[in-house]
Amino acid sequence: MRELVVQVSFALYAALTLGGAVWAVTAKSLVRALLGLTLSLMGVAALYVLIAAPLVALMQILIYVGAVVVLIFFAIMLTRAQAEQEEAGARDAGRTLRAGAAGLVVAGLLAAACLRHGPKIAGTAVEVPPSDIGAAFLGPYVLGFEVISVVLFAAMAGAVVLAFERRKPR
Amino acid sequence: MNGSSLAAVAPELLRLGVGLLALVGFIAANGMLLLYVERKVAGHVQRRPGPFEVGPHGLLQAFADAGKLVGKQLATPAGADGLLFWAAPLMAFMPVPLMFIAIPFGENLFGLQTNLGLVLILSFAGFNVLALCLAGWGSNNKWSLLGAARAVSQAVAYEIPLLLSVLAVALMCGSLDLRQLAGSQGGWPWQWNVAVQPLAFFIYFVCAVAETNRAPFDLAEAESELTAGVHTEYSGMGNGIFFLAEYANMIVVGCVATALFLGGSQGPFAPGPWWFLAKMYLLVTLVIFMRWTYPRVRFDQLLNLNWRWLMPLALVNLLATALAVKLAG
Repeated sequence: MRELVVQVSFALYAALTLGGAVWAVTAKSLVRALLGLTLSLMGVAALYVLIAAPLVALMQILIYVGAVVVLIFFAIMLTRAQAEQEEAGARDAGRTLRAGAAGLVVAGLLAAACLRHGPKIAGTAVEVPPSDIGAAFLGPYVLGFEVISVVLFAAMAGAVVLAFERRKPR
Repeated sequence: MNGSSLAAVAPELLRLGVGLLALVGFIAANGMLLLYVERKVAGHVQRRPGPFEVGPHGLLQAFADAGKLVGKQLATPAGADGLLFWAAPLMAFMPVPLMFIAIPFGENLFGLQTNLGLVLILSFAGFNVLALCLAGWGSNNKWSLLGAARAVSQAVAYEIPLLLSVLAVALMCGSLDLRQLAGSQGGWPWQWNVAVQPLAFFIYFVCAVAETNRAPFDLAEAESELTAGVHTEYSGMGNGIFFLAEYANMIVVGCVATALFLGGSQGPFAPGPWWFLAKMYLLVTLVIFMRWTYPRVRFDQLLNLNWRWLMPLALVNLLATALAVKLAG
């Protein structure tokens, strides 16, 4: 029973993720593409819940849907696209075919690698409490954690520099 | 497979289902109640009685309003993207019942047992901004678009001090579980977190009012300059669902403040859900009073208040809390 529920929900979430991604790529209007991206991100969040990682799932929603998608929306508003306008030009069949083939090659390689060399799938995923995740970040993985903070700090400093640079010429 | 494996899944699922259903009822009932309270408060603040004709003291006015909203025609503006236009109110409302499931109304009165309740509420609260964006964009109306642009910059800005102030309390108690956070406080007001973290409570409250787009921070609506901002083109229940979501968000904000800062369902003499509801409704009434007391701020004032005052204060507060926790522990 439980296994069936998990399998059905996996199929649903995978369909949501892939369907959203396809919509994001094929939509003619930028905001509709963004909605597709949001659906895809939600599907990924649901998959995280399925592997008993609710903290990662909630962070995915908090950061991607709550912040990144909204920022992309802000960028779209700056492009002065019209609400009824279709931004994408006419599609060229050969190009679609080539892009599809390129995507399939990467997906196929990844799938083959995962199927052949992937670790054995654990029977039941165990949920790790958030305090353990925090302890791991500040214990064995502290170097990576701090490097990420440095990268973020550099990005923030760069953004500030760029913003002031543009303001100067007046 | 057999009965035992079904039973292993069923109790949590049953609790979740019943909880969600009850919470949707709770939200709808509260929408009606708060609509009445808001109109009454607005009336008395402006020295008039408010709704008075439908039922005794206008008690049934909310039902009449709901009937009117449901009965109205749903119009999609010409040249608008119908899909985005109608996805927006749905996206504003659908995450709301999910936010409620982690709220501990009482010792055993909650929808879902999770050690991430706080993160759950904060993450689903982000959908509201996206809904306002879609509404503004899908309406094909320049006022709506301006409202959406304001909503984005406001929500992105105020989310940061809100998270930081909540984080200070979570750090102090060492948990993200709302039940545990509420339970770690005592019954009397001086044992509540608000006595230890008054600055965090103040920052949280201001940011929460801004995040729910309530006056004096309702720049996304701003009827004096943007007609009704993102809500301009919505008629009937389209508008009604946005209002329902707004009231429900106010209640969520009040519930989180109660659980984090005001001791949750703890209270003098007889702890229980009634204390939780009393504190929550007190906060919500305060928010309603603020709307009818203060004039709307200007947009630059709104952003300056956040970036120049609330954000540094929240950061200092978090640092001080971390230091105090480290020294005490």
